[in-house]
Amino acid sequence: MFRYTRFEKARIIGARALQIAMGAPVLINVPEGASPLDAAIVEFEKGIIPITVIRPS
Amino acid sequence: MVSQSTIKKLVEKKASNLPERLREELFEKLIHYSGKYKLKKAEIEAIIDEVVQEYEQALVEPGEAVGTVTAQSIGEPSTQMTLNTFHYAGVAEINVTLGLPRIIEIVDARKNPSTPIMTVYLDEEHRYSSEKAREVAKRIEGTTLESLARSMTLDILNMEFVVDIDPERLEKSGLTMEKIQAKIERSFKSAEIETEGTTIIIRLKKAKNVSTLRRLADKVKKHRLKGLSGVGKTVIRKEGDEYAIYTEGSNFKQVLKVPGVDPRRTKTNNIHEIAQVLGIEAARNAIIEEIVNTMQEQGLEVDVRHIMLVADMMTLDGIVRPIGRHGIVGTKASVLARAAFEITVQHLLQAAERGELDPLNGVVENVLIGQPVPVGTGIVRLAMKLPIKKAVKEE
Repeated sequence: MFRYTRFEKARIIGARALQIAMGAPVLINVPEGASPLDAAIVEFEKGIIPITVIRPS
Repeated sequence: MVSQSTIKKLVEKKASNLPERLREELFEKLIHYSGKYKLKKAEIEAIIDEVVQEYEQALVEPGEAVGTVTAQSIGEPSTQMTLNTFHYAGVAEINVTLGLPRIIEIVDARKNPSTPIMTVYLDEEHRYSSEKAREVAKRIEGTTLESLARSMTLDILNMEFVVDIDPERLEKSGLTMEKIQAKIERSFKSAEIETEGTTIIIRLKKAKNVSTLRRLADKVKKHRLKGLSGVGKTVIRKEGDEYAIYTEGSNFKQVLKVPGVDPRRTKTNNIHEIAQVLGIEAARNAIIEEIVNTMQEQGLEVDVRHIMLVADMMTLDGIVRPIGRHGIVGTKASVLARAAFEITVQHLLQAAERGELDPLNGVVENVLIGQPVPVGTGIVRLAMKLPIKKAVKEE
């Protein structure tokens, strides 16, 4: 089963939160008053963030 | 009751990502306990799931800075040892280096530890009686004229070196006066030996000056009559229901050949000797064991995995290398990493001469030039899929 390490999770959420903070459209309905980071976390949990990691082969 | 083969199948299926050894252990324990408590199939499945989960919890994630954690985990307890520096504790009557000095000794991979010690275990025949253990100890114990003598005098008037042997010690060592005489005669051709009861008189064949005689006397005193070179005193100690011999000094290669010794359990605290005689894997185990024991002696506990990492780093080249300038750090691939450690200028000059290239793969060199370090989140490389699939229309 594919699982992100906690480092990968942090980086993905961080990168996505930055995008959202800079005005990128949110891909899912997020609760009212959520910060960009909260939004990114919700997105990550749903698995819809269009970012993955490149793992060394 | 679930049959053995079903358990086997379940383990193979559910715990396929466990290492072989663990899987076997799990299988054996499951059989044992399913017999004891009449476990149902669902219960066995639950147990396996639990085990797999625990195992995955115990794994280190890729990117984790294990080296740093190891350094801290060993470093912190070591600060508590510093107070006990040069503290010696006797195993019977033998001195052992303990505490921080010992740790430093191991990590520096010293060629000759300050207190080499062998623990010699005996074979089935000699194990259970102190008499027979003493017999083997006699074969190992290094005996010199000096250690047998009650008194030694250099008679300058008659140009003689007179040694008075202690009969009790002679008896204990298993030597006789004749044997001693023969031994010395064979090794010192320039000397004339005469025995009188328990007295040995040594003269020079050609009468020369006193200094020659003195030099000869010193050599004869130290001449090994019996036992292994490098080994001094031996102490026999009872361990459980068997006897084991502790030796001051170490000669691992020779001791394994001594009749009566169990070569499979006998050990030494000289890691280089182990590497030479038993191979690098044995040396790795010895490093781990020595560090764990030293820590335990001080009442400190460090997770073995940290120590294993140290031992792995020290032995991964097939030889035992110290940690430090002459060992692991000195052979790092990156110029900057080496220069950041010690003797900076020399490393930089040398690298310039050779035209070395630094691909900046390590941690140190990236810290040095101010980039994110390839550890933890820094090791993750992101990729984004574009274009994004139709975004959910909002507003």
